[in-house]
Amino acid sequence: MFKHLFFFFFVLAGATLCISPAFSQSSNFVEAGKKEGKAVVYGSLESDSAGAIFAEFKKKTGIDVEYWRASATKVMDRALSEYRAGRPLFDIILTNDNPMQIMFKEGLFAKYESPSAKDFTKESIDPNLGPRYRNVVIGVVYNKSSLSAADAPKTLEDLVKPQYRGKIVMPDPTQHTTTTQWVASLEKLMGKEKADKYIRDLAAQKPILVESLLPAAERVMTGETPIAITYIKYVQIFGQRGAPLDYLRLGKFMGDGHYLTLGNKAPHPNAGKALIDYFLGPESMTSMAKLGEFVNRKGIYPPLADADKVQFVEMHDLNSKQFAEKKKEYQQIFLR
Amino acid sequence: MEVEPSLSTSWSRSRIGAFLSQPVSWVFLIVGAIIAFLSLYPTFFLFYGSLTDAPLGLPGKFTLENYVRAYSDPEAYPLLLNSFIFGFGSSGLSILFALTLAWITIRTNAPFRRLFELTAIIPNILPPILVSISWVMLLNPSNGLINGAFVKVLGLEKGPFNIYSMAGLIFVEALILTPLAFLIVAAAMKSMDPSLEESAKTLGSNEFGVMRRITFPLLRPAILAAGTLNFVRAVESFDTPAIIALPARIEVFTTKIWREALGSFPTNHNLAAAYGVGILGIALVFVYLYRRFTSQVENFSTVTGKGFRPHQIDLGRWRFAASGVALLLLVMLVVLPILVLILVAILPYYHVPTWQTWQNLTLDHFRYVWATPRVHKAFMNSLFLALVGATACMVLASLASYITVRTKIAGRGIIEGLVFIPWAFPGTAMALGLLWAYVDFPIPVYATIWIILIAYVTRFLPYGLRAVTSTIIQVHKELEEASIVCGAGFVSTFRRVLIPMMRPGVMAGWIILVTIFMREFSATLFLYSPGAEPLGPLLYFLYLDGMRGRVAAIGLVISVISVILIAVAQRYSRWDSN
Repeated sequence: MFKHLFFFFFVLAGATLCISPAFSQSSNFVEAGKKEGKAVVYGSLESDSAGAIFAEFKKKTGIDVEYWRASATKVMDRALSEYRAGRPLFDIILTNDNPMQIMFKEGLFAKYESPSAKDFTKESIDPNLGPRYRNVVIGVVYNKSSLSAADAPKTLEDLVKPQYRGKIVMPDPTQHTTTTQWVASLEKLMGKEKADKYIRDLAAQKPILVESLLPAAERVMTGETPIAITYIKYVQIFGQRGAPLDYLRLGKFMGDGHYLTLGNKAPHPNAGKALIDYFLGPESMTSMAKLGEFVNRKGIYPPLADADKVQFVEMHDLNSKQFAEKKKEYQQIFLR
Repeated sequence: MEVEPSLSTSWSRSRIGAFLSQPVSWVFLIVGAIIAFLSLYPTFFLFYGSLTDAPLGLPGKFTLENYVRAYSDPEAYPLLLNSFIFGFGSSGLSILFALTLAWITIRTNAPFRRLFELTAIIPNILPPILVSISWVMLLNPSNGLINGAFVKVLGLEKGPFNIYSMAGLIFVEALILTPLAFLIVAAAMKSMDPSLEESAKTLGSNEFGVMRRITFPLLRPAILAAGTLNFVRAVESFDTPAIIALPARIEVFTTKIWREALGSFPTNHNLAAAYGVGILGIALVFVYLYRRFTSQVENFSTVTGKGFRPHQIDLGRWRFAASGVALLLLVMLVVLPILVLILVAILPYYHVPTWQTWQNLTLDHFRYVWATPRVHKAFMNSLFLALVGATACMVLASLASYITVRTKIAGRGIIEGLVFIPWAFPGTAMALGLLWAYVDFPIPVYATIWIILIAYVTRFLPYGLRAVTSTIIQVHKELEEASIVCGAGFVSTFRRVLIPMMRPGVMAGWIILVTIFMREFSATLFLYSPGAEPLGPLLYFLYLDGMRGRVAAIGLVISVISVILIAVAQRYSRWDSN
């Protein structure tokens, strides 16, 4: 009797799921998307992560995905230029918060509420852009061969101690936009007064300045410099290949959020919606986390030690005037 | 009532009629129109952008604010001075390397000279950013491989070299620029008539005197051509300063452009265009100076109708020393960067190797190249672009060069100026200009492979033009005149007399372009259709994603393919191949 009852509820649950709006919505988009043939995505998600998800999506739905990968600024430049000329070729834009907000204000996006969004935390959903599917987390990474755990700094404040002078590499905050944002947002962790002093002390350590976050991580990986301010996901990504990297457990980490949104003049809107549904779904988020990404779907973490203890603090959104002012200010502090 | 045409009108008409009756005039009009369109259409958007306060595509107000902001900052001028030191230093050193190498491989009997000649061009194939990274790995003061070797062998406290310095910056950029200078200078050396040198020797000059008084002045147009190109290329380069100057806290003008315009958020294309106009001004001054130096065309004409081989100097015992010098240069230009690339391609992750490393070597990155359809497709796209693009570019460059050097048509100098305009803008700014020019073009070329071809010809025509001009200057007019006296028309003379005579320059230009097109990314990035990427953008994405091993593996495969193309091209560029 119990067995029959279980079977009845199982069938009922399945049927409910099948006729639920979310399910039928997605399968309708898949059918219509197949007729459109493909979805075109412009984004700054790493090619390997994107490639794995898009290949799986194609296997499941038969819809091809063409991906144009560039830095966030270039994604915005191309998308805005095409849109203003009235010839947008993209269905979806996939990049970080600041450029997404600018493109939203320019009217590039259509509102699409994906049924997959329900499994994201409330605080990770932007009213205009939808779920912040991943966070890119900036922290302090060090080379375990050059520095033992005992000798490594323990906190951000430790970085300004005399023994670490000349041993830190970071992107040039007068040039690299995300780092400008990170330095400007330190007040979120320390308070304004302490952060202002900290920034000056950090500059006095004469950190080696490089072009962006990846070259900073690479210098630590090669052992050229022992400590870097960079994305902590590199510990997992390069660690898999044997690089002796670890990161400081700072508790609170600052970073930026990434979104994906449908274009309002998408040439293949149904294929685009089907892709968004899949992309935000558990399968795709799990495979992205496995590659080291901090995704925001509940309960999914990258295989990085203590990843579940990372408390994410979103950096300040700066407008173009604020960026220019901050870069000028940091020029006086870091390049003196 | 009929009105008699005035005397001046009929005179003008007869002049226009006479002008149009010449086939060369039609060539001038057609080539001029193509170049004017290719050059002015996208740069119009950049000029317009530099004079408006709104981003491209949005209605804005006329303003000079961008120019005021770009050039009223007193801080800009010391940086400009740094850029000039960097530009002169690296282009001068690249000319020195190129001249030495070209002289040894073409004019002497040094052993292995053919092999040296072939390999000297390889660095042009490698993305400049990889060359810079290789040298950082070799010469960084903390754990550079060469510094480490010195410390170990000589028991020094620290390594003797520091790549993070102005000297390091100039050295690495010079190595990057040398292949281009080598191709242009070598092409001119191959075209030189030995009779002048032989006359000087008969009159009692020694080899050094001949070189100083005859060979060097004859090579002056080619040296100036290469120097001009390399100077502007260095001044506008960002990759090497980003990797070497930034950690050394040396600021150059491009760092400022990056900080305030291209790297600002959002990108300030209006300001970038205003900076670009400044670089364009510098480039045009150099074009003018170059033209002044080479205006006495007849002084340099040495290729006559008499058959010859370039005079080869017998170095006797010194020929091995000459090979040694060439080998040393090639070690710096090719061997060390390629070795580092091979190392990076077989390392599981990018790092300075230790003894432990040798146990973990992997062929995974080559397997990726072998097994990934996306990479195969990118190779096919790039091969098509390189072969068709370089050929189209050289056809146009040869015709443009003929018009500017050989004819007296009024306005011929404008063609040369036009060619340089798109080249002088920073790569990313120009790419946006191209995007804007063609995104809404009536013929639907945007996001097809043809738009990339148009972009390549637009941006890289100066390389082809400089290479072929430095050769055509040396071709004596008597050959054309003889052809015309014998009844041949313009087309026959051009095809049967000038093209064969210009062949070393044409092939040098073609090789330069093929090697650049195989890896170009800044113009390509904004124009290619998603899903149909050439190698340049693919390398860029992999680099952006930290896949150094894959980038190195693909770089090595590109090198092998390019060397095969170069070897074939060089076979056809030799005078003695007939």
